Amino acid sequence: MTERSEVALQRAQPQFARRTGPRPTQLWQLELRGTLARRRALIIKLAFPLVLVIPLVTTGAPPFFAAMLLTVLISMVGTIGTGVTITRARGSGWLDRLAVLPLPAWRVSLELFFAGWLVDALQATLVLVVIAIAERPDAATLATTLLLALAALAFSGSIGLGIAALTDHPGEAMLYLAVVLAPLLFLSGLFTGVPAGGLRYWIAQILPFSYLDEGFQVLLGGNPPYGDPMAFLIAAIIFLAISVAAAASLGRAVLARTG
Amino acid sequence: MARLLSSLSELSLTEPWLVADGLSRRYRNGRGVGPVSLQVRPGEVQALVGPNGSGKTTLLRCLATRTRPGTGTVAWFGQHNREQARSRLGVVFDATAHADELSARQNLAFFGTARKAARDLWEPALEAAAVAELGSEPVSRLSYGMRRRVLLAEALVGDPALLLLDEPTLGLDVSGCQWLAEALHARAQLGLATCISTNDTDFVEQVATRVCFLVDGEAVRDAPLAALLAELGGTREIQLSYRGSSPINSVRAVTGVERAAEVEGGLLILGRQRDGLIPAILATLGDLDLHLVDLKVRDPGLADCFLQLTGRALHD
Repeated sequence: MTERSEVALQRAQPQFARRTGPRPTQLWQLELRGTLARRRALIIKLAFPLVLVIPLVTTGAPPFFAAMLLTVLISMVGTIGTGVTITRARGSGWLDRLAVLPLPAWRVSLELFFAGWLVDALQATLVLVVIAIAERPDAATLATTLLLALAALAFSGSIGLGIAALTDHPGEAMLYLAVVLAPLLFLSGLFTGVPAGGLRYWIAQILPFSYLDEGFQVLLGGNPPYGDPMAFLIAAIIFLAISVAAAASLGRAVLARTG
Repeated sequence: MARLLSSLSELSLTEPWLVADGLSRRYRNGRGVGPVSLQVRPGEVQALVGPNGSGKTTLLRCLATRTRPGTGTVAWFGQHNREQARSRLGVVFDATAHADELSARQNLAFFGTARKAARDLWEPALEAAAVAELGSEPVSRLSYGMRRRVLLAEALVGDPALLLLDEPTLGLDVSGCQWLAEALHARAQLGLATCISTNDTDFVEQVATRVCFLVDGEAVRDAPLAALLAELGGTREIQLSYRGSSPINSVRAVTGVERAAEVEGGLLILGRQRDGLIPAILATLGDLDLHLVDLKVRDPGLADCFLQLTGRALHD
């Protein structure tokens, strides 16, 4: 190497360090930075909910249908994002590598889940930003619905993790996810509304999608039997906690399965 | 070095660090491995050698804590706790899975942190593997061989007490194999243990202290490398390439021929060295309706040892 090129290299080093940024030392950082580095995939990932939400809010679609579509979208983003990503990671041998590190299985699972959830949360936030600009709802309803969306994403993500513990094939995971998600969405009252009483009413109370659906309806100018915002807030926090606990407890099952 | 000595001081240097006792892992199709018993002691390089499908990868996955044995036990550093053992293991499987969009440095930062290797060891690990120059490139842009080097650097960083490598020379060029051989020698001199699974017998002859031959999932021989090679004293390996029908039965009947096996494009013969052995084989071939293309004679190696033991060629 010539003296000139050595000097050039030395000058380039700090620039390169700045461009690469701090090195990821935790799994969730590695996963998140990996996702952010796939620029084209990231743009598509962030753009596709907008393709759905912008026509819905600008054409005055009926709130019941618009909320249903957005809730289905959020639930699918969460389940597919986590379930398919993890089955792919198993197929590539990535989970094999993680499984033999001195990291507890619950932590590996939780960090994979968290990294996926952060990107999904960005998608959901963009959806709500569009709604906020178009509908100008009050801040409390917007914040509560955002929290519900994040909780629903986490809940869906934990379902995705559960499915990833059952299969090694991304295509098969998609089928399983549809089989699990469709009845849950139905029971959440997305397609028919929540009955005033009976078993279906109580089942809807323990599913985050029913709360999110109602939140979206309120944001979009609908008039659902919207309950106390505080109750929705508490429900969102409980669903988040349950999802995190489920993601951690599924760690062993997700890693134990060898591709 | 001080850090290494401090971590080794917690381990027994007289007891084996890895003990598999009656380990068996069979799949539904009957393939798999076991029962196998073996030990790896400090400073040893144990090689698991066998043809494709012999069960060496399954065995290595069990030893690397990745797969639970169906029956039998594995103890790491005198304990059966897999989670505890992982803090002292470095493992490389055949897949080169990384966070592909990130650089080798970024990947190594994660693996180094997870394995509690000090930060000042990360860069030297990449330099030793000759990937430091490309260390800021996304791993996806590296060649297969370079990705294998990154993988090995991630496993070697921090000098794990027990290193388990599946097909370590896969994708490596000559200089890569030489680097890895030197790294394993250096580890052995420090008293660290290594277990490799491979059918690259040239590499095994360079680095191994013990060899366990596997056939159809069973260990047919586990002995020091030197002892195995000594058993071949006075023999010669003869490789025949020919066109025509196989002369294997006629060759086996030649006095001095101990083993013969068909390999791709020819015949591998192990014969007791004596005057007239080669002419006798050539005379036998002359009586047959075949066209001899090539004949090579060389000192026997580990592959011949496998042939002598099993009657089967290690490589097709």
